[in-house]
Amino acid sequence: MITLLKNAKVIDPAHGKDGVKEDIYIRDGRIVAKPSDTEKIHQTIDLNGKVVMAGAIDMHSHIGGGKVNIARMMLPEYQETKRYTEPEAHICTPSCTHHATPSTTDTGMHYIEMGYTAAFEPAILAVNARQAHLEMGDTPMIDKGGYAMLGNDDYFLRLLANKADQKAINDYVAWTLHATQTIGIKVVNPGGISAFKFNQRRLNLDENNAHYQVTPRQILQSLSRAVNELGIAKPLHVHCNNLGAAGNFQTTLDTMGASDGIPMHLTHIQFHSYGTEGDKKFSSAAAQIAQALNANKHITADVGQILFGQTVTASGDNMMQHLNAKIANPKKSVIMDIECDAGCGVVPFKYRDQNYVNALQWAIGLEIFLSVEDPWRVFLTTDHPNGAPFTSYPHLIRLLMDKSFRNDAFAKLNLDAQAMSNLTSLNREYSLYEIATMTRAAAAKLIGLNDRGHLGVGAAADITVYTEQEDKEVMFSKPDYVFKDGELVVKDGKVVKVVWGKTHTAKPAFDAGVETGLKDYFDKYHTMQLDNFKISNDEIAQDGRNQVVSHTG
Amino acid sequence: MQTSTTKTDHATCPACGLLCDDVTVSWQNGEAKPDVTVKSGKPCGKTVAFFSRPLDVTSPMIAGKQASLAEAIAHAAQLIKKAKAPLVAGLSTDLTGFRAAYQFAQHTQAEMVHMNVQSSLRNTKVLQSTGWQTTTLTEVKNRADMIVCIGTDVVHHNPRFFERAVWTEEAMFTDAKARNIVYLGGDDLNTAPGVSPAGKQPTVLPCATKDLPEVTAALRALLQGKMLKVEAIAGVQVSALTQLVEQLKQAQYAVLIWVAKDLDFPHAELTIQNITESAVILNQQSRAMGLALGGSDGDTTVNYAHTWLDGLTLGEQDISAHDLIVWVNSFSPDKPAPSVNAPVIAFGHPDTQFTTPPEVFIPVATPGLDAVGTLFRVDSSVVLPLKKVRESALPTLAEVLLQLEAKLA
Repeated sequence: MITLLKNAKVIDPAHGKDGVKEDIYIRDGRIVAKPSDTEKIHQTIDLNGKVVMAGAIDMHSHIGGGKVNIARMMLPEYQETKRYTEPEAHICTPSCTHHATPSTTDTGMHYIEMGYTAAFEPAILAVNARQAHLEMGDTPMIDKGGYAMLGNDDYFLRLLANKADQKAINDYVAWTLHATQTIGIKVVNPGGISAFKFNQRRLNLDENNAHYQVTPRQILQSLSRAVNELGIAKPLHVHCNNLGAAGNFQTTLDTMGASDGIPMHLTHIQFHSYGTEGDKKFSSAAAQIAQALNANKHITADVGQILFGQTVTASGDNMMQHLNAKIANPKKSVIMDIECDAGCGVVPFKYRDQNYVNALQWAIGLEIFLSVEDPWRVFLTTDHPNGAPFTSYPHLIRLLMDKSFRNDAFAKLNLDAQAMSNLTSLNREYSLYEIATMTRAAAAKLIGLNDRGHLGVGAAADITVYTEQEDKEVMFSKPDYVFKDGELVVKDGKVVKVVWGKTHTAKPAFDAGVETGLKDYFDKYHTMQLDNFKISNDEIAQDGRNQVVSHTG
Repeated sequence: MQTSTTKTDHATCPACGLLCDDVTVSWQNGEAKPDVTVKSGKPCGKTVAFFSRPLDVTSPMIAGKQASLAEAIAHAAQLIKKAKAPLVAGLSTDLTGFRAAYQFAQHTQAEMVHMNVQSSLRNTKVLQSTGWQTTTLTEVKNRADMIVCIGTDVVHHNPRFFERAVWTEEAMFTDAKARNIVYLGGDDLNTAPGVSPAGKQPTVLPCATKDLPEVTAALRALLQGKMLKVEAIAGVQVSALTQLVEQLKQAQYAVLIWVAKDLDFPHAELTIQNITESAVILNQQSRAMGLALGGSDGDTTVNYAHTWLDGLTLGEQDISAHDLIVWVNSFSPDKPAPSVNAPVIAFGHPDTQFTTPPEVFIPVATPGLDAVGTLFRVDSSVVLPLKKVRESALPTLAEVLLQLEAKLA
């Protein structure tokens, strides 16, 4: 069966194509070269010059696992907001679902309806990986994957404190990728989640975890090197120390230098770009951060843009979320220590445009987007749901592409915040090519999805077709067509066929002897058996509804 | 009965919320009852009973009379087609069973309710009102130097709790054998498991369960630094509570435990909130965490999975407001469907004894015994696979529900 998409205006940064008029052929879920004239074309869709991009890939979105589900349980009032019709109840935009923590079904449906064909859960607690996969397995339409959290687990910290050699660390990291069925490694507040369990309340980059006498810098060095030496594509995913704290930009700048040039990805960097200038001792350090990102080619970052409205923040960083719980809105929160492995903090927030700090956070995110020169190294995220729900991406894209729209929004902000931002002096407007880069080509390259994020021959046929429009929010809210692995699944912004997607993993080789030490640790200190910690391919496959795809090994 | 020797290591026991996964189950040639052992100590009575259930493959029934599976499914389909307000109740099952039950409820527009909804909601109400600060079993095992059991002895629900998480051979950050154990209130407690291996007695501050609202409010007030102008609250000396407060503040890592099922009185959520807010107050200066234990009949799993599938937690239902009850209990022959006027379709253990035979009864496999499965542990972060430890001809709940749905199409 061959499908022909005729007269496409192809925007495919992986191949340098910016609006090239082309025909695209799809067979057996893949993009293929033009078949010979004797072969039958079963279906032809004339796109008449509509914009065609690969399916978008969200490289950082909290879509599965304990934290998100706690948020759902804790916040029944968000379900009520589904019924709201008045504009002020909107979280952010007309296309918004008014809901920061949708069910797994709604998550998959909303993603595909925006032309996204994959999303990656960035904070899987190793011990909770089975839950994350269960939830992602119940998320239809899109491909999934996740990053396993290390660096606050007592097994790793004991290795580091005992000066284990790098090979032992590498084996443990590789074993974790296998056991948790993940594609990358994340570290959250390196050493800080552990330190909080010993009653430390903040941890700076060169400050010791009181029990282990190791610093966040050492943790970053060890883990970034392990990830690099194992040869997986995804660089270490780093949530820096001092999340959300005024003056934390210095920690962020120092963190960029902590890996000695080994690639690292700094996540939701907006939340780590705060200075202490001005009367309110809270200011934008976006310029310094962007300058450092431009200079440090080994560093990539996603922004974690905030948008105004009600949402909920769900983080592994229980040390900092415990502080944030004081400003929860509505006033409730969940803070957990979890299994000598990690922790979590779930705190609802309402970002308000008349609040000085919130307004400046909004501006800081956009300042970073507009000041980082290379769209291959900066990624479009709201840290869903922490900055805003992922359903607000079309609105965010318009803010990046439309200067007058952006400046009009800026003019409505808290006046003191306006005075502290240079946003209106930034004239840049993102092009469709740059948007396609950060949401497709670069995201696939970063994670190591070689056959996704582009439209070359051999690529998986995850394809999104848009009608080019002046209002980019409208354009990106409602694609004309979305194809998932070659199947037409969305027409005119509505799902026409339900599919289930795959789970992407990385499985680098390791020395099986690593289990000797692990077994001893589990038997002595854990409350489950090592064998039962590991997740099998069969568990994820769910009798064929899902499938594990391994990208190394 | 098994015809050859079979042995399964690291089987997971679903009989309580602890999900001990160190169980070995083996059948010698021809023996009806398996040998059940655990890695350390002895298996508890619940575990032995669970794995020793006889493998009876009984026939489906229609109104108490034997029928084929096809007949039973056809009759059930008729009842469902007629029903205007069906309810899927009981819901004692594992994740696979619940996914199937949820899909079935969606297709038939049925409401859902779990048999433990009353106790589960006590916790949910606190979560949705103020949230909480909690910990998990491995943290308790390695960090807790002080454990306060409030209104519960825990072991009635989770028999191996002290063996597996308290009096352990090793702990990373504390002297396991020297932990300070306190029982505050509760009826008919078994405090013997709280005695340390060296014979150190736990502190017991007795009060009746019904007085816990007052006593926990006093504890919370004292932690906040308020003065109480009485000598005793419901028989508990304020001086003893003050001493407890001081010990909690001095602890490296204190854990405050409750079991929602044991707090069976009106507005027990406010008592749970006193406990969780006590942990929140302590965490301002030192480290302390709450921990809800208990958990059974797949309740944690069903609440979690319903939340991600539906977006909302499972709530209460008035059983009498429904004209058809679909009762699910895949884990045990106990707790059959309640007696109601509406017709009942029951899926359950083959040995289930009904006082009134349901319209339709279809025996199904028990997850963790006759079929593989997945369950959440009561402390919520750990999810464990259930193993199939014996051969059985019984269909799983998911298989039967799929066939039933096909009949409805």
